[in-house]
Parts: sequence; C-alpha cells; structure tokens
Amino acid sequence: MEEKTSVWKRLRSSREVSLVLILVIMLIAVECIQYFGGNGHFLSPTNIGQIFRNNALTMLMALGMLCVLLTAGIDISIASTLGFCGMVVGMLQKNHICQNTLLLFLLAAVIGLGCGLLNGLIIAKCHIAPIIVSMGFMYIWRGLAYVVSGNQWASGADVAHFAEFGKDGSAGPYIVLIVAYVAFFIIMKWTRFGRRIYAVGSNSEAASVSGINVDRVLISVYMIMGFLAGLSGALSVSIYASAQPNMQYGKEMDVIAACVIGGVSMNGGRGSVVGTFLGALFYAVLAKALPLVGLDSIWQNLIKGVVVLAVVLLNTLTQRAMDRSNLERREM
Amino acid sequence: MAGKSGRTIDITPRKGKFFRWETGLIFIFIAVIIFGNIVSPSFNVKSVFMNMPKYLAEMFMMFAMGYILIIAEIDISVGSIVCLAATMTCFANNAGLPMAAQVIICLGVGTLCGVLNGEILTHFQELPSMIVTLGTQIIFRGIAEVSMGSGGSISLSDTKGFAALGGSIGIVPIAFILIIIAAVCFIFILSKTTTGRKMYAIGSNHTTALYSGIKVQKIRRNCYILIGAMAGVCAMFMLATSFGANTTTGQGFEMDVISMCVFGGIATTGGKGNLIGASIAGFTIVLLKIVLSLLNISGQTILVIIGILLIVSVMIPSINEQITNKKKKAALAAKA
Repeated sequence: MEEKTSVWKRLRSSREVSLVLILVIMLIAVECIQYFGGNGHFLSPTNIGQIFRNNALTMLMALGMLCVLLTAGIDISIASTLGFCGMVVGMLQKNHICQNTLLLFLLAAVIGLGCGLLNGLIIAKCHIAPIIVSMGFMYIWRGLAYVVSGNQWASGADVAHFAEFGKDGSAGPYIVLIVAYVAFFIIMKWTRFGRRIYAVGSNSEAASVSGINVDRVLISVYMIMGFLAGLSGALSVSIYASAQPNMQYGKEMDVIAACVIGGVSMNGGRGSVVGTFLGALFYAVLAKALPLVGLDSIWQNLIKGVVVLAVVLLNTLTQRAMDRSNLERREM
Repeated sequence: MAGKSGRTIDITPRKGKFFRWETGLIFIFIAVIIFGNIVSPSFNVKSVFMNMPKYLAEMFMMFAMGYILIIAEIDISVGSIVCLAATMTCFANNAGLPMAAQVIICLGVGTLCGVLNGEILTHFQELPSMIVTLGTQIIFRGIAEVSMGSGGSISLSDTKGFAALGGSIGIVPIAFILIIIAAVCFIFILSKTTTGRKMYAIGSNHTTALYSGIKVQKIRRNCYILIGAMAGVCAMFMLATSFGANTTTGQGFEMDVISMCVFGGIATTGGKGNLIGASIAGFTIVLLKIVLSLLNISGQTILVIIGILLIVSVMIPSINEQITNKKKKAALAAKA
C-alpha cells in the first residue's frame, strides 16, 4: 500500500508524466472532434508526419537550447545563425558552386559550430551575461545573412536538388531528428560530458572546485547549440525549398518556449531530453490541432502565448503547494 | 575574491578615474558625426533632423528599459506592446474618435500591458522575468494579430493628428524635443531622487534592499507599468511616421532598446550604469542609422555594426577588469 502511494506521488510530481497525460488528453479530444465531425482521423500517418516535419527545426534546436539552459545560460542568436548558415547554403547553390547535399549540410553545421564557438568563447572567457553576447551575435549573423544574400534569395528552382532531402514524404528530416534525439538522450544521461553540464548548471562553483573545467563545458555547450542551429539552417532550406535572409526570424523564442513547457528551468540544472521532446511536441501538436478544431491560424500565437504563460504559472503553483506540504510533513 | 553570491567591496581609494564609459561614448558620437561629414555630402543638421523621427520612437522606451535593467530585470515584451497599442489606436482612429481619445487609448493600452506584466511578476516572484515577458510577448502580439484579422495590417484613416505629431517646430522634430525632456526627467529621477537610489539598491542586492525596508515589489511593479506606458508613447510616434500597423510592427524593438542601454554602459546584471550613457549611446545609434540611410546602404548592414559595437562595448570593461585583477594578484605575490 505504501509503495503504491509513493509510486503515484512520484508519477504526479514528474513533469514528463503530466505532460504526457495532457498530450494524450489533447490528442484524444482533437481526434474525437475530427472523427465525429466526419473529417477522418487526426492521428493519420500524414498528419503525424507533418507535425514532425513542420516543427523539425524547433525540435532540433530545442536540444541545443536544453544544454544551454542547463548551464543557466541563454542563446538568442540561434535564429540568426540559422539564417546565416541557410543563406550561405542557398547562395552556394544559386551560384552553382556546390550541389552536393551532404557537403552542404556539413558546411552549414561547421559554420554554425564556428558561430557557437565565438559565442561561447566570449561568454566563458569574458564572463559577460549570455543574453547580451548572443544578442550581439543575433544582430551580426542576421546582418551577415543579408550581406551574403546581396538582396537576392534562393528560390525553389535554385535548390531543387537540395530540397529532395527534406521534401514532403522524404525520410530525411525524420532521420535527422531521430538520430539527434537518441544521441542526446544517451549523452545527457550516461556520459561524463552530459553529467558535467548538469553539474555546472546546478552549481558552477562546486563544479569548478570538484575539478570540472567550467569554461570548457560552457564553450562546448554553445558550440553544440551553434552546430544544431547551423544544421537547422540547411534543414530549413531543404524543407521549405527556399532561402531568404530573414528566414525563421524570431524562432529563438519558439525554441525557448518549447523548452520551458518541457520543464527546463531557466536557472540551470533542471531539465531533461524527454521533457524537451514532449515540450516541443506539445507546441507542435497545438499548432497543428488549432486549425482543425475551427480556430483560424491568426489565433495561433495568442493561444500559444496563453499556454506558455499558463504552464509556467501552474508549475509555480504546484511547486509552492509541494513545498508547503513538505514543510507540513516535517513539522508533524 | 568573491563567490557567486557575494560582491567584493574595494576599499582602496580610486586613483582619479582616467577613463569613463561616457567619455568614450562621446568620442564615438563625434566620430560618427565626422564619418557622416566625410562620406555623405548631404549630411547636415537639417537632413539629420528630417530623417530623425523615423528612428527616434524606440528611444522613448530606452529610458524605462534602463530602469528595468538597473533593477536586474528584463522585459522582452515591449515590441509586442508597441504593436498592440498601435493596432488599438488605429481602430480608435478608424472609429472617428478625437485625437485626445486616441492618445489616451494608445497610452492606456501600453500601461495596461505593463500592469499585467508587473502584476504577474510581483505575484509570482520566483519566476524569472524573461519567461513571463516571453509569454506576454507572444500573447500581446497574438491579440494584435487576432484583432487585425486575416489581412494582417491596419492603417489610419485620418492621418492629420498623427502627421502633426510627426512634424517639427522650425527644423527640430517634436519627437526630438520630447525625448530631450524625457531624458532630463528620467535621468533626474534615477540619480537625484530616493526612488532612483532605491533602484540601484535593488539591482545590486535584492535581499539587502528588502531587509533595509525598500518596497522592492512596489518599485518592480511600477517599473513594468512605466515601460508599458513608454511603449505606448513609442507606438504613438511610430504611427506618426508610418501611419499604420501590421503583424510585424515593433518586432525586435525590445532587443534594439536593450542593446542601446547595454551599449550605454548599463549592466544587465543590475545596479550598474546610468541613463546619461544610455542616452548618448541611443543618439549615436540613431545617428549611425541616419548616416547609413543617407549613403543608401541597406538597412540590414547596420545590424552587423550594431552587433559588433554591442559586443566590443561589453568586452572592453570585462577585459579591463581581468587585467587589473591580474596586476593586483601580481602585486600581492610580489609583496609576499
């Protein structure tokens, strides 16, 4: 009997489980509305595929943002890094310099890695607030994207071959997502590097005293973020079959919101890959379901915002209730 | 040496501060003027004033953002507040309300948004302001999008009132005069009144401020309300030059404003910096934008310049500090 209650308690206090529950309830509700409205299944393979494909960028970058937030940092330059890398990839194809898909993906990822390295170096070595440094780079990379583009953009015809990788029905984006999530799950849970990230985020002084090179962890975290942002840049060009200098403007806020919904704390040290995945998925399902239940796409942002705020506030309230009950138990 | 939680107090007397951040900013400001004179034949007082109103609107929010940053908070919802206030004012305008009512609505909507931010943040003190304002950022823009409908844009039908607002007395734009007045008021409050000094106290150490009897939450809430109201003012002057709003109105304003403050020497960790520096930095960036627009350089190239300025301006003090720390250590070692 006692064991049962403890399991139930553990389940209830786990952010992941409550998210799964909410997701399942939401999916069933939408499915019912859809099915009994005579519009077929919501959970059809095409719909599920689209949910992942349309939000592949958010899901991919959320992994990097998880690492950054775990160290109590933040990176708001990612959308610009994405734009810059994507634009480079697009222009290389437009000018017929390179058409090799794999090479272009690698190039974008390497450029992103470089962007992240710069970001991380300044944050770690100069001890400047991450939001300021990444804000500076947000301007720089976005500006460079415009410079690289030369007031042009790469259209569908220019990137036709490249777009094969990410076009509707191709397995490309899904493979990237699956590989990334599996890799991160393993890294964050079972490798020394992953645990070091948590250690630095929970208490950087303690981590430093116990022999962890905090600067190196910080730099590598921002490098990972840059790498994923660069990869997302190429992926974005491939999925949407175009490259514009202002592409995915403001995406960083979506990514941060997905992480926050998934239970990643902005004070560092708390968050998991599963939570991040569920948060991003929740965001994605919401975006897909709203039009289907009869709300115009113009309502999307409003509802997204309300959800983000509601999740954050609810989380605080439950945390308070939990603290209070813990206190009461101790007093007894 | 000081830990994460504590700050060291330097008791050694300062040897006449040779380099002040504001002095450096004035040099940069002058450099921009000289640069403008050299590269553009059409660069003179008149052309600068003529092009100014377009870029000035953001500066109204800069002062309030300075307060917010000094109390170690951040508000990234202001761009969306501008969008919402501008949209609502357009509706009021199209409904044929008098100019005074439109102004009240514009400021009122901004203030209301600020009240919402402030109330949430004071009732949920454990939440970082970044998350809450991220949520309200999406919500405010969402409300604007919903009210604009599927067209995604709305324009003023009667532009007379706002055109007058965007006009000038002689050659000096009204917006410029108001900014100078606002700057004087905000700087005075920050540096000469107890409220201003309390803000520094809160920013330097939140807990100490609380225990020394400062009403921390009241000041926090008021700062958020103030920045909401200033976002309303910004929306008004933005309408005076663009005569309409769309779903991307005000996008990125929050970052522009924060970067002006940081470039002006205000630390986002709180308790450091002043609005004099921020004002000079703001005018420098406005002037730079005007020079580049006179040169017909695409507006986006300036992003690179602003970004580099921003990073260099935060790197210099930090590197400087590291060098002095090293020197101090070396001196200590030599003594021993």
